[in-house]
Amino acid sequence: MLEELTAGFPILSCILFLPVAGAVVLWLFDEEDMVRTSALTIALVELALSVFVLLRFVPESAAMQFTERVQWIPALGISYHLAVDGISVLFVGLTAFLTVLVVVYSWDTIRHQVKLYMMCLLALETTTMGVFVSLDLILFFVFWELMLIPSYFLIKLWGGGAERHYAALKFVLYTLLGSVFMLVGIALLDINYHQWALLHHTEQAYSFDLLDLLRVPIPVSQQLVIFWLMFLGFAFKAPVFPFHTWLPDALLEGPIGMAVVLAGLKLGTFGFIRFSIPLLPDASKSETVVMVVVGLGLCAILYGAWMALVQADFRRLLAYSSVSHLGFVVVGLFALNYQGLQGSLLTMINLGFSTAGLFFIAGFLYSRQQTTDLSAFGGMAKQVPLLATFFLIIGLASIGLPGTNGFVGEFLILLGAFKAKWWFGAVAVLGVIFGAAYFLWYYERSMFGPLGAAVKVTMNDLQPREKIIAVSLSVMILWIGLYPSPFLRIMNGSIQALVDRVQQETKVSLQDNRTGRGY
Amino acid sequence: MTFSLNLAFSDLLLLLPEIFLTCWLCVVLIVDFSLPRVPKERLAYLSVAGLVVTLGCLAWFDMNHVSGTLFGNMFVLDRMAIFFKIVILGATILVILASIEYVNRFTLFRGEYYCLVVMSALGMMFMVSANDLLSVFVSLEFATLGFYVLVSYLRDDLASNEGGLKFFILGVLAAGLLAYGISLVYGETGKLVFSDMASAQPTPGLIIGFLLIFAALGFKVGAVPFHSWIPDTYHGAPTPVTTFLSIAPKAAAFAILLRIFLVALGTFKPIWVVLLVAVSILSMTYANIVAIAQRNIKRLLAYSGIAQVGNVLIGLAAGTKMGNDAILFYLLAYLFANIGAFAVVIAVSQAIGTDEIEDYRGLSRRSPFLAFAMLLFLLSLAGVPPLAGFIGKLYIFVAAIKEGLYTLIVVGLINIVISMYYYLIVVKQMYINEPIDPSPIAISGPMKTVIYVGLAGTLVIGIYPQPFTDWVVSATLMFANFVGPSVTIIPPGASLGG
Repeated sequence: MLEELTAGFPILSCILFLPVAGAVVLWLFDEEDMVRTSALTIALVELALSVFVLLRFVPESAAMQFTERVQWIPALGISYHLAVDGISVLFVGLTAFLTVLVVVYSWDTIRHQVKLYMMCLLALETTTMGVFVSLDLILFFVFWELMLIPSYFLIKLWGGGAERHYAALKFVLYTLLGSVFMLVGIALLDINYHQWALLHHTEQAYSFDLLDLLRVPIPVSQQLVIFWLMFLGFAFKAPVFPFHTWLPDALLEGPIGMAVVLAGLKLGTFGFIRFSIPLLPDASKSETVVMVVVGLGLCAILYGAWMALVQADFRRLLAYSSVSHLGFVVVGLFALNYQGLQGSLLTMINLGFSTAGLFFIAGFLYSRQQTTDLSAFGGMAKQVPLLATFFLIIGLASIGLPGTNGFVGEFLILLGAFKAKWWFGAVAVLGVIFGAAYFLWYYERSMFGPLGAAVKVTMNDLQPREKIIAVSLSVMILWIGLYPSPFLRIMNGSIQALVDRVQQETKVSLQDNRTGRGY
Repeated sequence: MTFSLNLAFSDLLLLLPEIFLTCWLCVVLIVDFSLPRVPKERLAYLSVAGLVVTLGCLAWFDMNHVSGTLFGNMFVLDRMAIFFKIVILGATILVILASIEYVNRFTLFRGEYYCLVVMSALGMMFMVSANDLLSVFVSLEFATLGFYVLVSYLRDDLASNEGGLKFFILGVLAAGLLAYGISLVYGETGKLVFSDMASAQPTPGLIIGFLLIFAALGFKVGAVPFHSWIPDTYHGAPTPVTTFLSIAPKAAAFAILLRIFLVALGTFKPIWVVLLVAVSILSMTYANIVAIAQRNIKRLLAYSGIAQVGNVLIGLAAGTKMGNDAILFYLLAYLFANIGAFAVVIAVSQAIGTDEIEDYRGLSRRSPFLAFAMLLFLLSLAGVPPLAGFIGKLYIFVAAIKEGLYTLIVVGLINIVISMYYYLIVVKQMYINEPIDPSPIAISGPMKTVIYVGLAGTLVIGIYPQPFTDWVVSATLMFANFVGPSVTIIPPGASLGG
């Protein structure tokens, strides 16, 4: 993962800054339809650029591709360093894809302050892209923090719930609390590099660059400290159980568009696979870390699923199912073998289609009944057959039925978990069963059975824009489910390099200790 | 001690900015009373013109590396002094521009207002060049004198008088402490110039003397537990004066603190690190918690200022070259964000006549520009990337982590989260709540300039900080040699060899 391929054209910078530049352009328009059309155009161009990157991406390679690197603040060793590899490139495509769908969804569901909404949405896209393509830890942190600002406004101004002010504040403060600890971890990495640089008389005294930091050995005890600091940052954002309490509030009170991005893009767990595991391999595989983190993951799987079982509100159910799914991802990551890592990465992508898709479905339900509570539904399959069909497809993907994308990811995770320790897998399997239970139960009660008292007979089926969203999501779900190899081929190189790094690093640091390098 | 007063003309060149500004101050005064018909705005622009020329002169000094000492080492002009003088003059110019509209509220002595502001600036320019304890005392009192008058400028306003009185009494107390401390230090060492004290032994008298000096300077920067005058004074003073008070004297006092701690007391570092860590933790935590309960934006910014001082003290506690760079950088970032925030406060109070946070509701509807500017300034104060405040905080934290000050860092970071909470309260009022009176707010030309400068500074320093980091790194070069033995605190988890 240390070699780099540069592109002749700074396409990642274009991808990164196109949405925010577009947001500035939107400022100029006054007419609402004009704003919507322009936002959609920008999102589509962004998607086209991302697809171009995906097509030109060299699969089965561990190299960092499309690299751009410029010094930013040399005094502190901060650089503007962008690149994608097999781990991050799919997220770039996913972000662009989901943003297009959110813009389409918001077309007629957002009625007031449309311009500001679209601007926030595009700003959010830039910051999210930034998190995925930054290789400099400070640059990464910049985007990570910046994301809070459009999110805060999105939840607060366009949220539907009465408690949205509380939810927005909670979201910002929780995430900020985690990320300040992460910042200490990042600074410790930098100081570690600095000490190494002084010993080896390198040109650069400080560096926050991932690739530089990967070259420098870190003493195991130091790694543990940094690992837990960064863990807090990622765990609050992900959110990993027990740091998840902001998630149901934010998802329930915020607008559907925000929920799609928050629940669809797994930034926290991306942080683990991008930074924690490769930078701190010895800490990541130490007995305590694996036990604690996988333990939390298993708790999350069961807790999330049980909580989801008793929720009457579909969005709250989805929030807890997100917690449960994140548990799977965490277990797969810290199984630290090829299948586990690959499955986790694929699952993160899959959730971008299935969980986000279910939030769109929740939005469709909401726009028909002004609520997502079970009491407003029942026996609707006859009124809205298309909605019911797509609800089923996306829902089955989320519980991992064979033939859908969810199956491939979950299967790989379970395989990895069983390989690591048999009981990791055994507990995780229980989650799959509960997962099927809570979804099917809700589905059955809302779509089949006697017609609910509150259901109007003249309820509309999917509208054209809703069809576009549902169909494109279903296509992706079935594509990854039936023919996942293009996606797996993109990941393979990087995953293999990551696994090699985790397996071999012990020797290097042992040598280090033997030669007496320390503080 | 003997003074050699055979000054060459080239020596006086070092004093040129101060000499010029003194003359200009007299010119402004003469114009004020000899041409009473001249509108007072003209006086403001006249003062700004003089300040700009002085600023240009300092910039020329900086580019040509002019430096040296005068009056038997009492006055030093080095690159750090030039840096601080530029910061102070920049702040003064912006404050005068932000005052123009506000000054019309004063019933009397509108012209003298500008003279007093320039006079204080002159005093602070001497403060940052003070290289011995006597010149510290003289210049500090000179600078404060102008502020005593400025704070109580609203003669008919009870709050202004109360703030002025508190400021005066505590200011005089601080002056007493300072004089007492200086006498103890001089009695113990027989020295007044900082660099001569570097070899002194830590006797009890000397330690008490320096503690008293630190307390006096603590009053000036407003660190807890020497902060008690700040909220009332900031609240009562005319807002442009509050703006000035929240930036320039703090910067000047930090220049003195840097010289005292790193030049005079470089060898005692293990002792004073503990003191600074304690004061820093107290300042940040106390101010941030109390700020949450504030209903008045000026008081909120007063407490936020105390917390910011706590952050700067982290850099001082690091006690290294990098720590000093970070302090200078942080002050620069703080300058733009704070002046900007206060400029918005002035503009809003000019239009709606209050400073209550409650009355900021719906500001984004009434003036999207003011609301957006305030948002950026508050986020920069909170340290949100990629604004100037973030880079400043990062710089300070990296410097402190390098020295192993982990407790301080953790407290500092938790405080960032707390501070975000009360900054967001203001943001919520501006953006979420509906305005009671939706009429748009007009902003005057000079005020717009100030806010634009604040925005430009906050954004440029945040996004392209390299020229500024280069500047601060070169401004503190002389500390690279002075710094005493670094404290050896073992970072948690570091393996001790193997």
